[in-house]
Amino acid sequence: MERLPAGKPVAALLATLCSEHLQGKDEVVRLAMIALLAGGHILVEDLPGLGKTTIALALAGATGLSFGRVQCTSDLLPSDITGLSVFKRETGTFSFLPGPIFNNIVLLDEINRAMPRTQSAMLEAMEERRVTVEGVTHPLPEPFMVFATQNPSDQSGTFPLPESQLDRFLICTGIGYPPEELERAIIAGGGIRERIPGIAPLISPEQLHAARAVVARDIYLSDKVVDYIHRLVLATRTDRQIQTGLSTRAAINLAQAARAAAFLKGRDFVAPDDVREIVPAVCSHRLVLRTGLSGQDQGGLLRKIIAAIPVPLA
Amino acid sequence: MITSSRFSSLLALVIALTGIAPIFFWIERFPQLVVVLALLIGLLQEWRGGWRFSNRQFNLALVPVFIWYLLQYSRSNPIQPVVSVLVIMLAARLVGEKSVRNLLQINLLSLICLASRSLYDLSPVFLMWLTVMMVLLPVSLVMLTFAGQNSVLLLGRRELTRIVGAALLITAATLPATALLFPVLPRTAFPMWQFLAIPEAAAPGMSDRVEPGSSASIGTSRTLAFRAELPRQPQPPYWRGTVFNRMNGNRWVRDAERATDPMTPTGQLVSLTIYPEPSPSLILITLDAPLELGLSRIRVTPDLVYELVRAPGKRFSYTVRAATDGLLRSKGLPRQLDQYLQVPAGLQSAFVQQGAAIRTKGANNAQRLQLVEELFSSGGFQYSRQGLPTGPDALYRFFFETKQGHCEFYASAAALLLRLAGVPSRLVGGYLGGEYNEIGGYYLVTEDRAHVWVEVYLEGKGWQRFDPSRFAVNADAVWQEPARATLGMRLRYLLDALDYRWNRAVVTYDFERQAEQVRLAARKLKDVERGLSWKQLIWAGGAVMVILAVWLLAPRIRQLHSPEQRLVRQLYRLMEKRYGLSVPVQKLGLFELAVQTGNPLVQQFADLYGAAVYHDRRLNPEELRQLRRLLQQLARAQQRP
Repeated sequence: MERLPAGKPVAALLATLCSEHLQGKDEVVRLAMIALLAGGHILVEDLPGLGKTTIALALAGATGLSFGRVQCTSDLLPSDITGLSVFKRETGTFSFLPGPIFNNIVLLDEINRAMPRTQSAMLEAMEERRVTVEGVTHPLPEPFMVFATQNPSDQSGTFPLPESQLDRFLICTGIGYPPEELERAIIAGGGIRERIPGIAPLISPEQLHAARAVVARDIYLSDKVVDYIHRLVLATRTDRQIQTGLSTRAAINLAQAARAAAFLKGRDFVAPDDVREIVPAVCSHRLVLRTGLSGQDQGGLLRKIIAAIPVPLA
Repeated sequence: MITSSRFSSLLALVIALTGIAPIFFWIERFPQLVVVLALLIGLLQEWRGGWRFSNRQFNLALVPVFIWYLLQYSRSNPIQPVVSVLVIMLAARLVGEKSVRNLLQINLLSLICLASRSLYDLSPVFLMWLTVMMVLLPVSLVMLTFAGQNSVLLLGRRELTRIVGAALLITAATLPATALLFPVLPRTAFPMWQFLAIPEAAAPGMSDRVEPGSSASIGTSRTLAFRAELPRQPQPPYWRGTVFNRMNGNRWVRDAERATDPMTPTGQLVSLTIYPEPSPSLILITLDAPLELGLSRIRVTPDLVYELVRAPGKRFSYTVRAATDGLLRSKGLPRQLDQYLQVPAGLQSAFVQQGAAIRTKGANNAQRLQLVEELFSSGGFQYSRQGLPTGPDALYRFFFETKQGHCEFYASAAALLLRLAGVPSRLVGGYLGGEYNEIGGYYLVTEDRAHVWVEVYLEGKGWQRFDPSRFAVNADAVWQEPARATLGMRLRYLLDALDYRWNRAVVTYDFERQAEQVRLAARKLKDVERGLSWKQLIWAGGAVMVILAVWLLAPRIRQLHSPEQRLVRQLYRLMEKRYGLSVPVQKLGLFELAVQTGNPLVQQFADLYGAAVYHDRRLNPEELRQLRRLLQQLARAQQRP
């Protein structure tokens, strides 16, 4: 830890969040944190009622970042997200009313319910980090993270995200049911939704900014690990069960996420272990399996592929 | 198109056949029956599909069989029970389910069955079967790796060709190693079976006594007695074995104590090499009459009988120098000659009268021999192996009544008459003639070529060979080689030449031959030396070796000898011992290892090590020291519990 002074507050934040507010959600919270630090977006794919929204709210509260929420429906229009210009009679001018996307953390709930038009507007904003409305470009705040959720079992009236759009999410993960004990405690004590507005920021914007800067610049990515990532990417491209392997963007994202993961562990270098750990979350939604195999678990396949690649140890 | 599992099963049947066929005629009736049945059932199952028995049932059924053969096992019968159990186990696997594991077992059992052939027999046929096996087994193994992954994998002609090609490549790749191992490995020149098998009771051949009239007929055996490598002789050669000098009733025996004065063979000199087949007899066959024999640990009596001092433990060969005229020069001291006039008591008077007549008629031994010759040549004698007179007066009936018999009758009667006529004479036992194998350049002498003839002492000359059997009216037909070899015979000669080479090159390959090879190589090197400087050769050879070694070892040395690699290996080995992690190195990252073991020392190691290695720099001496200390602590902690 002594190597990374910037890591301390982040680690403390993560520990407090997981132990006090979001019990049993350690993995998702950590992944969300990785996305935040690496400057990426996260897609949480799970059944309703497992705390997707709560996590996003808690993360925003604890980091002191602004929070915006969009509930996606099929009649949602792009301007409902980006905002629009309104004519002001008093001044005789148009003034821009920013939409919910002009926040640090934006929760896009049930993203697959929105129309493709709206989806692509959002995703464009995610990639470009700015919004152009009526010829005027408005930059989005920094940091900017989309926390999208979708319900995989709900099929009717949805517009599943195409692969190219999925590729824009740094991380895609599930949540899973809480452990038995914990679930009992939650039933007894009620949800934490009400308490979330009371969460005091645990980290200052400067600290968060410093941490992001360290992840982007100061975490060393050794040639060995670069080689390791490259071999993994190549292996997915030649695997017989996979139709489309990992893209270069996926490899870049994997390196970014591995940096953030290493940072969270208090290291100033990326170890192959970080890559191995982060691979399913970063890559599984980007793989397109061969027809007939689409029912298979991509995460398991990835783990098998990476197990076959020797870990660079010396 | 064929599925991989089906192909493997069929292949297993073929492999089993290759394992069983070489030993089939050696094994007992029961395992023979069982394995034939199992092969048929296995084939039927492949053909019809399904209808398999569970392995557990078979394993249970094998227990009593196993116990039965265990009881059969004894020191005098160690081979058959073991091989029988082996064969029955193979049979059970053939009928049982064909899982990958069982197919592998079939392969292994078949290979052992084939190997067990060397317990019975060491003929070159083994090499043929081994070659077949060496091709089939890799095919099967390659196939099974496919079947193990995907049992319904469909294989077309192209895939099959590639698999077989790969297997052949594997076989070819093993050949240099085989050639390298051949001179090094220990070997036996006799199959184990031969040590233990009971000798065949009434086989014809050269024996240690001559007793005409002991049986009414003798069989003919084509068993090989020996091979003799020498140029073709104008006349069928006489192969000298032993000498019988004493007559007891009808029986001629050898009395080795009776010595004669030294004799020197005369005539054209011939050098030859003799390769005897393994036999319990200690007598060494030579060409009549031998001057010297290139073998140590032998005993020679003055009547030129060569014997081994001890039974040899292996196949062997020896060189002989001989003079073939059939005359042994000797001074013939009277005191010693007298013993060659001994006749048994109670002879038929006809013999005695005949002998007395010859004695008076001939002035000297040569003339008396002439008279005996005439008796045989004009007597209308027939050579025969059947319808022989038997009993104590067999010789009398042969000579005066039936005039039918084999060489023992002829030689016994002639020697008896000569002794009665006062001519010293004795019987020589050995072989006559043989088939000359043009391809191999050697005489092939079988046991039915065993022969007995007479040696007669002539004053002023010495011992003269005299073969009365040659005066039989059908002698030419019996003794002469067929003038022209038929196609079948040529083929037989070819096979025999192959067998001969195999015995010389493989079975009798021993240390002496190895030494000979080394000497030969040294001699050849000397020839090279003349044209080339030794130093140049050594430098060139050394340089090639060094380049080769560097090329082969460099990548490995770099890895093995980097301290980082060694440290990591040590750590993983320790972890494996301590936590029983069966994860090979390079399957688990260092930090994951630390988390899994929960050991703070491992965590320290990972932090320290990773900080250097994943920063792309080498460990500095201080870090190395610390890491080693950590490893020591880990090792100590491991010993403590």
